[in-house]
Amino acid sequence: MTADSLDQKAPQPRARSLKGRSHFRLAFARLRRKKLGMAAMTVLSLIYLAGIFAPVLETHGYSDTNLLKTQEGPDTENFLGTDRLGRDTYTRLIWGIQTTVIVTVATLLTGALLLGLTLGLIAGYMRGAVDSVIARVGEVVSAFPDILLIILLAATVRPRVLNWARSVEDGTGISGLVSSGFVDFVVIGIALLPLSWFGTMRLVRGQVLQLRNADYVEAARAMGMSTPRILFRHVLPNVISPLIVTVSFGMGAVAGTEIALSFFGLGVQPPRPSLGIMIAEATGRGSTATSVLTQHPEQLLAPIAVVWLLIFSWNILGDALTDVFNPRSR
Amino acid sequence: MTGIGKLMHKSLFLGAAAAVMAAAVACGGSESSADPVVSASPTPVPTRASAPQIAPGLQDSTPLSGDNGGPRAGGRFTLVYSDPPTLDPHLVVDGTSFGVVVELFSGLVSLDKSLRIVPELAESWEVLEGGTVYKFRLRPGIKFSNGDPVTAQDFKWSLERAGRPETASAVAETYLGDIVGMQDLIDGDAGEASGIQVIDERNLRITIDAPKAYFLAKMTYPTAYVLNRKNVESGGNGWTDSPVGTGAFTLSEYRVGQRIRLARNENYWGRQAYLDEVFFNLSGGVSMAMYENDEIDITGVGLADLDRVNDPSEPLNRDLVDTPAQFGVQYIGFNVDKPPFDDPKFRQALNLAVDKELISSQVFADLFEPAFGIIPPDFPGFDPDLVGLRYDLDRAKQLLSESRYADAASRPRIVVTVPGSGGSPGLDVEVIADLWRQELGVNVEIQQVEWATYLQDLNRKRLQAWGGVAWQADYPDPQDFIDILFYSDTQGNRGNYSNARVDELIVQARTEQDIQERIKLYREAEQIIVEEAAWLPLWFDTERKALLKQRVQDYTFSQIAIPKFKDVWVTDAG
Amino acid sequence: MLAYMVRRLMWTPVLLLIVSIIVFVLGTYGPGDPVEVRLGQNYTPQAAERLREQLGLNDSPAVQWGRYVWDAIRGDFGDSYVFQGRSVGEILGPRLWVSAQLNIAAFTITLIFGVPLGFYAAKRQGTWRDPAVVLTSLALFALPVFIIAPFLIWLFALQLDWVPVSGWGGFFDKRIILPAATIGVPGIAVFTRLMRASTLDVLGQEYIRTARSKGLSEMVVNYRHIARNALIPIMTILGFTFAGLFAGSLITELIYGIPGVGRISLDSIFARDFPVITALVLIGATMLVFANLLIDFAYTIVDPRIRLQ
Repeated sequence: MTADSLDQKAPQPRARSLKGRSHFRLAFARLRRKKLGMAAMTVLSLIYLAGIFAPVLETHGYSDTNLLKTQEGPDTENFLGTDRLGRDTYTRLIWGIQTTVIVTVATLLTGALLLGLTLGLIAGYMRGAVDSVIARVGEVVSAFPDILLIILLAATVRPRVLNWARSVEDGTGISGLVSSGFVDFVVIGIALLPLSWFGTMRLVRGQVLQLRNADYVEAARAMGMSTPRILFRHVLPNVISPLIVTVSFGMGAVAGTEIALSFFGLGVQPPRPSLGIMIAEATGRGSTATSVLTQHPEQLLAPIAVVWLLIFSWNILGDALTDVFNPRSR
Repeated sequence: MTGIGKLMHKSLFLGAAAAVMAAAVACGGSESSADPVVSASPTPVPTRASAPQIAPGLQDSTPLSGDNGGPRAGGRFTLVYSDPPTLDPHLVVDGTSFGVVVELFSGLVSLDKSLRIVPELAESWEVLEGGTVYKFRLRPGIKFSNGDPVTAQDFKWSLERAGRPETASAVAETYLGDIVGMQDLIDGDAGEASGIQVIDERNLRITIDAPKAYFLAKMTYPTAYVLNRKNVESGGNGWTDSPVGTGAFTLSEYRVGQRIRLARNENYWGRQAYLDEVFFNLSGGVSMAMYENDEIDITGVGLADLDRVNDPSEPLNRDLVDTPAQFGVQYIGFNVDKPPFDDPKFRQALNLAVDKELISSQVFADLFEPAFGIIPPDFPGFDPDLVGLRYDLDRAKQLLSESRYADAASRPRIVVTVPGSGGSPGLDVEVIADLWRQELGVNVEIQQVEWATYLQDLNRKRLQAWGGVAWQADYPDPQDFIDILFYSDTQGNRGNYSNARVDELIVQARTEQDIQERIKLYREAEQIIVEEAAWLPLWFDTERKALLKQRVQDYTFSQIAIPKFKDVWVTDAG
Repeated sequence: MLAYMVRRLMWTPVLLLIVSIIVFVLGTYGPGDPVEVRLGQNYTPQAAERLREQLGLNDSPAVQWGRYVWDAIRGDFGDSYVFQGRSVGEILGPRLWVSAQLNIAAFTITLIFGVPLGFYAAKRQGTWRDPAVVLTSLALFALPVFIIAPFLIWLFALQLDWVPVSGWGGFFDKRIILPAATIGVPGIAVFTRLMRASTLDVLGQEYIRTARSKGLSEMVVNYRHIARNALIPIMTILGFTFAGLFAGSLITELIYGIPGVGRISLDSIFARDFPVITALVLIGATMLVFANLLIDFAYTIVDPRIRLQ
């Protein structure tokens, strides 16, 4: 939501002709001295690990209802109590985290890294017509008001993709595409793409434009190095650091948007939990949350706390990384 | 958030008092969202066009009166509402529009608080020629809100205008199609409806194509309201911004998306309204909080707030009122053409495995009554002796093992589709899906799609199983449930249910004149439908909760849009 | 430079055309039908057919699109499918104005707090105050609107009774405070961080040292030299942030009952009210395009070394 405004503030990185590897070692050493950054990284690792290992950490099934024990407070069996259907809040929380983990990582991989990086490299290196086409396509996609496009896609495209996936499953004997939420993740990932790839692409392109005239790249070319090789050996290492910074800010934005989408019922399919669905269910969607907070605070506070920690930590980490990779702004 | 979830479903609330529709009309009843949360929706008290009462006194609505002296004029009543799609009575197809239009316009007859048909602009009428001719006599001296007299000619023009193809009313056929010549007008084959004849200024004669007891009830719907020709022809499509009507109120301000303000119509034929102003807040917000802060006078109470307001020590508890139950049933529908629902044993097993009493008490705080049949309690034809498929896990397991789909590995995939444009898919569907998995080992996917998609698939009978909607009665006749929903090949039969005996009973009931006999026929059909598990019936509506400020007097909660604000008054007026 | 701007401007209508095609394709081939939503349970194939005819939905998508573009060029964005007889302009006009006011108010809050805080943090770099400011603003930034809004309502409206829960009374009405704060407060972090970085950048520059060595007072150095120069990069992203704010106010508008574009944009998607959806998307796209253009333009003014090509 508002989170997406943060990635506008991509740092303006400077060309640096450091060798990739030592550069990173240096950067990591600097990062280790940043207490806040390390703390954020620890928190993020914990949250992401919890999500990844949800199948191990769960104490119940995430959709297991228990009508004999609804809306109970925390106890030894249900660490965070139960919701209105008697489902274990703790279990749903970590599975909800997994949803966010998958969506953020998938969007990051497809959008920011694959699309953004590749297109940025190509646009910057080839320039000319290719550059123009990519830039124009990017402008079209990013010209859509983010949230509108996302909702529009989720509302119109998703049901048809789901049906298609089901027929694929029934026809081929592959199973679990739909029930595992894989299809949902793909659709949500696609819907969130405009949030992620264009910014990255522009950033990488800018870097490449600066670098391609750098002496050592010219030298490499003069020595007869092939284009892909130049891109990989010399250009790539130099664009990675600003990229990491952008990505870490973008992750917070993507997480926030996924949660909002689920809140509107356009995210993952039930019964798979998501933090947004948990918030929506806890507040009953229509009330002030006052009643929930006075009576069953854990139902609302648990997912909210995780959402908050996620976005907060990603941004702190982003800040720390900016400082680390871009020491001039110190 | 308030509002998102309900928005779409409201369009369905409506309706149509389609009411009224006699057996001849294939569609009827209204489908509405069965969000089990007593929603704090933008329309706190859903105005549902449901059932004009043919048998008087069947369901007296609840007037809430207090004894603070007599009614007095003045004051303002504020409520949260959503933007009405139209204020043109002839185009109304939804409850939101109906709720405003009914205050601004009126027709020959209307419904009173008990939903009985009472004279409105017609002071009397005669039914002639075996029920095919209605002769209406208008009240003397009645005027539009701009002072123009209302004549029989105005009615002829209005009724014909409703039917003209260029008006493009979606419901003209339904409500006016019985009038001789109207169908030709609707199809564009005639310039006027020959069945509507002006005798003189005050006398109007309407001929219908067959004796239909429901015709008068249909005349209470906005499609039959009288409009001012000058007004309508003055401003293109924009005439509804300054409408001239015959209702107890006039429109003093309409800002799309912001507010509608109604003021007293000084030219109203009857007793003047007490309120100086009715204020519809259209911009939404969290209605519960707005109520607590005295910004609105009425709100529905959501499930999340119910425990709090039920607490006697909570100040809001004093304002708590019950709203009357709607005649509706929530259910999970099965498409019996699509495996595995083509095996009755499988459907029965799914029915028997659900402990509705437990769900109702644990999840919904007893807001809903478990349904074992199709026809709701207190509705004509309700069968108190119907046992239905009550919770019996052993029998469920046995039936499942006997069914063709006993083997989980070869069982076709089951997808229950629910509408959801906001938040969770419906707590009941979620818990039932899990019960099936836990108790029977039947795995079910819940697919949540948003409303437009859902509606399209439902209309085309493409859904294998569906939940999250309710069937609301439109008129008090068991035909509205049994015939419309289960007769083979009707639009309302979304699950392709077909049973020769049921069809036979339904056809017989259509022509049966004796009401007791008809009810017997319908009960027998219902019995078969339930035993064959065409549906999994879930809940009947019970009374819902609302909050109403104590200063407000004589507010009527009704199941159908009736002109209600003309009787409302506030104790702090003047 | 001028040629570049002209080229960009000429590209804008093409871009808008493409955007409108995408919306049309989604509308035509995606599931859901505005006519069926409008008819609800009154749906019969005949009634649907009549309505489709009246709304012009029976023509081929290409014809519909052509007609739309032709009308749009002349300023007519069609009539809503849902609000019968009302033009899109009539429906969206007032709402856009309301949203704009709300966002200006929110933006003011963001700037008033964000810029000084960033400046302060930069000047206090090395003390505990710097991280404290940054962390606090980030902590607020990370709070989802789902919790900020109910909390603000509970505290300021229900408990303290300072402001009403909801409603809209224009820019100078106190009811604008809570929603504006809900939108604006998270944004503070963005500007705090930007201003901090940009101030630090300026602090390291030669001319600041020169100014100090000239014996100028700290006050003058702070405001004439540091703040003014540090603000330049911020100006450049103002437009962009503002364009993005429209989307951000969606949920807030719903909660506070603000008659802006938030509610209608959701409603129109759910009701498949394509004239309204298309108009909203086009407006959003236009704003983003011009914001981009302004940024590029601003860059060349700020830093003459950047030459647009």
